[in-house]
Amino acid sequence: MLFNSLEFALFFPTVCALYFGLPLRWRTPLLLVASCGFYMAFVPAYILILFVTILIDYFAGIYLERITGKGRLLLLWVSIIATCLVLFVFKYFYFFTHAFVDLAGFAGWKLTDPTLKILLPIGLSFHTFQSLSYVVEVYRGNQKAERGFVTYATYVMFFPQLVAGPIERPQNLLHQFHERHDFNYDNITAGTKRMAWGFFKKLVIADRLALYVNDVYTRPQAFNGLQLTIATVFFAYQIYCDFSGYSDIAIGTARILGFRLMENFQTPYYSASVSEFWRRWHISLSTWFRDYLYYPLGGNRVRRPRWMMNILITFGVSGLWHGANWTYVVWGLLNGVYLICGALTEGIRNQFFGLFGLNTSSQFRRGLRVATTFTLICAAWVIFRANRLSDAGYIFTHFWQNWNFGQIRTEQFLLRQMPVALAGILLLEFGHCLQPRLPRLERYTANVPTSLRWICYSALLLSVVLFGVYRKSQFIYFQF
Amino acid sequence: MTEPVPISTRQGLARIIAFVGLFTAVSFATDWAVNHGLRNISQSDYGVSNRLMTGRANAEIVISGSSRALTHFDSRIIQSITGRTTFNIGRNGSQTDMQVAFLKTYLRHNAKPKLVVHNLDLFSFVTSREIYDPAQYLPYINEEAIYTAVRRIYPDAWKWKYLPLYGYLVEDMRFTWIRGLAGLVGIQPEEDHFQGYLPRYSRWTGDFERYKRDNPAGVKFEIEPQGVRDLREIAEVCRSQGIPLLFVYTPEYYEIQQLESNRLEVFGKFHEICHEFQVPLWDYSESPISKDRSNFYNSQHLNAEGANAFSIDVAHRLAQSSFLK
Repeated sequence: MLFNSLEFALFFPTVCALYFGLPLRWRTPLLLVASCGFYMAFVPAYILILFVTILIDYFAGIYLERITGKGRLLLLWVSIIATCLVLFVFKYFYFFTHAFVDLAGFAGWKLTDPTLKILLPIGLSFHTFQSLSYVVEVYRGNQKAERGFVTYATYVMFFPQLVAGPIERPQNLLHQFHERHDFNYDNITAGTKRMAWGFFKKLVIADRLALYVNDVYTRPQAFNGLQLTIATVFFAYQIYCDFSGYSDIAIGTARILGFRLMENFQTPYYSASVSEFWRRWHISLSTWFRDYLYYPLGGNRVRRPRWMMNILITFGVSGLWHGANWTYVVWGLLNGVYLICGALTEGIRNQFFGLFGLNTSSQFRRGLRVATTFTLICAAWVIFRANRLSDAGYIFTHFWQNWNFGQIRTEQFLLRQMPVALAGILLLEFGHCLQPRLPRLERYTANVPTSLRWICYSALLLSVVLFGVYRKSQFIYFQF
Repeated sequence: MTEPVPISTRQGLARIIAFVGLFTAVSFATDWAVNHGLRNISQSDYGVSNRLMTGRANAEIVISGSSRALTHFDSRIIQSITGRTTFNIGRNGSQTDMQVAFLKTYLRHNAKPKLVVHNLDLFSFVTSREIYDPAQYLPYINEEAIYTAVRRIYPDAWKWKYLPLYGYLVEDMRFTWIRGLAGLVGIQPEEDHFQGYLPRYSRWTGDFERYKRDNPAGVKFEIEPQGVRDLREIAEVCRSQGIPLLFVYTPEYYEIQQLESNRLEVFGKFHEICHEFQVPLWDYSESPISKDRSNFYNSQHLNAEGANAFSIDVAHRLAQSSFLK
């Protein structure tokens, strides 16, 4: 079920009403049933795959607590491999066998491609990682194994974040299913506001920009340099608004029910370096890779070549996590290269800017760094979004060619869409600027008469509704 | 500033219900405003629909059909030559299923015409797969004939009727709701329709060359049973109301005719229906207008110059025919 669907508009209030109306002991089972319904609205059979993952890690968690000695580590690996195997079969089987066939072709062996091409269950990478974090944390002793199967299953399947995160840690989420969440008006208003902001990002900005981006990136050869540039910048905003919009809706939805999910984005395009960007972009995934891959590999407490290798492995795997396609792998590795280059050249850059009296705290230099980081990230997005590496190559070599200002529109994106798209982006940035002042603003608006406040809220909500795009578009990150 | 007072469950629920109520009311009000505004427009495409829906067309000759009817029959020329008031209700992007709905709606609201001229296309027997430009139907979704036809093509169209703004937001990407709000305060779009006729001042676009390249083996137009029933219904509606009907196959660029692999079969079906209902068919496929590319902007549509030549010809034929005697 999509958040931006009529079905969800009926589903969620019903779940809320039942949740707050039912006795405490029935609330978690209700959430599980609701989550199953939410997930089965996509493809019902996929729930079985999810069920397998849940079973593996539920029992793994319990036995990890019971067993001591070497068997414990073995059990951890068995559960990790079993969970990852599900992911591998459904997400990477075709990719790796295809790569193997290609490799064999280079070696002179003629192999045929496997005919088995399995459809990827929605959000598989997300709930797999959430399950994995549970067993690792139980193994590390940071989390007690959950004995209640329904509670554990609800932790993995909690519908607000089931298909596109945030990828929660058991320490943050699991205990909340044991707590009492009563009807709380403040939670409801805060959650609704957060959802509205998420819908604004998704419906008004992301889905509108998608019209342009999809046209251009489907066949970049048919567009001029200006259109390629616009599409690339639009994609940067599209993916941010799409994914952070989803996170906002997820966080808001959970908040209404009384749950607190972790923040997933912190205005990432205001980052002054790629490493800062990755601390502010898809935080739940970045920290996952940091805690469960980068640190175990040795992190930065190793010699420099090994550290570089750790970075490249982490980002390469992160790229692969995003999709079974070489474009994602190259995108991940490119980000790793950015990070390494950034660290290696930091001293030289500081010396260079120092000559002009621009130290790291200078506002001008920060602005320059933010612009540079945004450009680098956009360049990486080209590879991420391109259907194939050759398309990305074409885009890189044609950015500067044939800028025709008389030919900006595309088939789906008529020029009348442009003012709305640009106004949406401006409002988004305005919203970001307003964010630090939000508590003060909320205190101020609390003193405005309710009738006036509600009229304003209704008008804002109606604007989102009126300027939204309602094509049946999934959130980009569902595919991962 | 005062400290916020904690809100009890009862108060909270009441507030939520009140806010949802307010928002629902605002949505319905906006929906009403948009619909009312669009129905308030007196120019351009909505102006044509509004004349039709409010019984202000009342023409003696009614032209019905697809975009080919819309852009081929210059009502002004036909009116001046025949001396009979003429109105064109051709719809852009419509198949026979929607055309019959519009004809029925016209007949419901306006005086009975002396003649209905229905334009035929090679795709006349192909039913709609989707609703083209749904916003053109939204303000009139309560018209029974239109609603029934739309729902047959798109069963989810009940949402357009019952959910405020749904049709304008989900089905329309052209910000038609803005046109509606503008119409509400009296802002009119530029007039481009003349008694329903829409002239196209375009030169040959080259779409045909692309089409030819993409379909070297030609194209076949389905003869769907439902499509046949729809065209029969047009004849049936006219017969039941005692309105003479004339089918016209308006000019079509001759080169594309060679690409239409089942042209004879489709025309066979046309003749079958014509014979059944005793309706004449004027076929302009072989007309000199069809042979001259400068009359067209694409293979199916005449430009304003071509429409002018065709309308003069058809008007003279009408004037001499027994229809208007």
